[in-house]
Amino acid sequence: MTSLETTLFALALTCCALATVGYLLSLLIQKIILAKASTWILAAGFLFLTLTLLRAAVHSSGWVNFGSRHFLSIYAWAIAGIYLGLQFRTKTRLLGAFIAPFILLFLIAAAGQGSGKNLVPPEWQGWLTTLHLVLAIAGEALFVLASAAGAMFMIQNRLLKHKKPGKMGRLLPSLGDLDRINHLGLLWGFPLLTPGMIGGAVYAAFVWGGPWPADPKVIWSFAVWIVYGFLLHQRLAIGWKGSRMASLSFVTFLLFLMSALVIRFCCTTVHNFI
Amino acid sequence: MILLVGLNHKTAPLAVRERLFAGCREAVNLLGDLRAIDGVLEILHIATCNRVELVASVDETPRVMDALKSFLAKYGGLTHDEAASCLYAYRDEEAIKHLFRVTSSLDSLVMGEAQILGQVKEAYRQALAQNATGIALNRLMHRAFRTAKRVRTETGIAANPVSVSFAAVELAKKIFGTLAGKKTLIIGAGEMAELTCMHLIGNGAEDITVANRSAAQAETLAEKYHGRAIGLDALDEGLMDADIVISSTGAPTYVVTQEMVRRCLRKRKNRLLFLIDIAVPRDIDPKADGIENVYLYNIDNLQDLVDENIKNRRREALKAEQIVAEEVTQYLNWLKELEAVPTIVSLRTKVESIVRMEMSKAESWMSKLEKGDREKVDALVKGIVNKLLHAPVAVMKEESAEFNSQDIVAAARQLFRLDD
Repeated sequence: MTSLETTLFALALTCCALATVGYLLSLLIQKIILAKASTWILAAGFLFLTLTLLRAAVHSSGWVNFGSRHFLSIYAWAIAGIYLGLQFRTKTRLLGAFIAPFILLFLIAAAGQGSGKNLVPPEWQGWLTTLHLVLAIAGEALFVLASAAGAMFMIQNRLLKHKKPGKMGRLLPSLGDLDRINHLGLLWGFPLLTPGMIGGAVYAAFVWGGPWPADPKVIWSFAVWIVYGFLLHQRLAIGWKGSRMASLSFVTFLLFLMSALVIRFCCTTVHNFI
Repeated sequence: MILLVGLNHKTAPLAVRERLFAGCREAVNLLGDLRAIDGVLEILHIATCNRVELVASVDETPRVMDALKSFLAKYGGLTHDEAASCLYAYRDEEAIKHLFRVTSSLDSLVMGEAQILGQVKEAYRQALAQNATGIALNRLMHRAFRTAKRVRTETGIAANPVSVSFAAVELAKKIFGTLAGKKTLIIGAGEMAELTCMHLIGNGAEDITVANRSAAQAETLAEKYHGRAIGLDALDEGLMDADIVISSTGAPTYVVTQEMVRRCLRKRKNRLLFLIDIAVPRDIDPKADGIENVYLYNIDNLQDLVDENIKNRRREALKAEQIVAEEVTQYLNWLKELEAVPTIVSLRTKVESIVRMEMSKAESWMSKLEKGDREKVDALVKGIVNKLLHAPVAVMKEESAEFNSQDIVAAARQLFRLDD
């Protein structure tokens, strides 16, 4: 990693940490101006992160040559980019309070990882692997967004049902907006994750031949895909909306997050970059 | 000196306010007549349905105060007793504070309402157009607007609605985000339901449906909002389409039952539904609130929100009073400085006339100087004069801003014999 890249990454990390603190503070002292400022700080962080990744891309022979720092950074970058894109279109600034900590978490994890190690063995590298990785990351980032919106929906719903919207209720986005974000997250996330997974499966069939290995990450991803597919189906076909969808997507997300951590620390997997 | 004379909703009954408001409005040249009063230097006239007030910069207080009071009494046709009980008069600090409180909506009937600032601005515009204001009032009004702006942005005094119908609109926004394109169903008819509906339309809600026992009444109301009318028997269908339902019938039993809501929600694919029940006895079964994605608020729930908001506004008003106090102090300091200005001006004039006189005496030998040397002498004299004057002028400004300007001004006038 070049020193310029390190500086850019440090700047991105600092911005993201500041934005996270700002968002959380805005929830705590209930001032929307702080959330507004945090959005701009996060946007600056996003810019620095983009530059870091571009710089890394220029210096490496190809996308898949990235170290684990870059994989985690791309996760953070995708979540931040999708959130910011949505943010500038809708007035849901406080969603940042739920998204920014995740971005920060990914960046901190990335900072803790060495970047020199080549994670994908050279014989596996190729456009299909890249496609698989990029689409899977984008799809999962959108699910994070859908779940964060779900968590906020649950809070706002509770406040409105108890007839006490108060200051917090005024600060949180409207139920309609949050439900729309949840809907969009699922609607975009699923079609991105699907070809991402197919790409991976096709590639694995070529490389490994034979049946799929019982890789925990593969099983985990398949479960994510099935459950989110189920949720999207219920949403579009059955008409599940609002609080049920919000709580289900949030709980699902928590379960997957926990199992991902268990896989990361307790199992051996070919997907060993996070 | 600043004076404020007038009456408002706290001191005068509506009948008196009406009379004075009409009297002032009908006057052909109100500001002209006011300026004609001896001692009035600058004047401004604020008239709203809740208050009629005159703000003036004057050179003599008690007499002008009485003159302004009599003026208002005459225009409003106020009896002696009415004038005595309704009219108030404030001077200097009190007057400035009152004006700042009025402009910041701290003195309004509904504290924190936004109209008053616009009304005061309009009053100022009119006075400006007629050249009725000068340095003191111009500065005063700009300070007043600045105070109002600070109060609005730095406190939450105007943040939350304090009427039931507005509270309902705010809730609708919290549920749906935007009200554009949202469908509203009104069940029954009542003043409050209509008012709420009007506010909803004002915020973008469209497509009004009116359900009523009397078809004729439903038609009339529907026509008013360019909506459609349905009978109470078609309520199921109405509930299926609507996003917001306002109910206020006089029915003794529930008009909308839990089962009806449950049924319609299934058909509408669980779209969010906001039910506002402002009827007493209630129209909508409270159990409907237990259904997912249904938000039911009755009149008490809404009133509780309003009460909470009023309490918040009162709390915020304390912060606002602090801002007003700060701004009053700043304006007073400036005003005091202003009191020293005439003395400073006459001091300068006197010194300049001395310089002119002495220079003309020296004209006979100075005319022999080269042009460049002559300029140097002029610059030298100017420099000495400015340096000598700097200290007394600065001290007069500082002293009069911090303390009373009278003593220092009197001393300066005596020292330099400015009154000779």
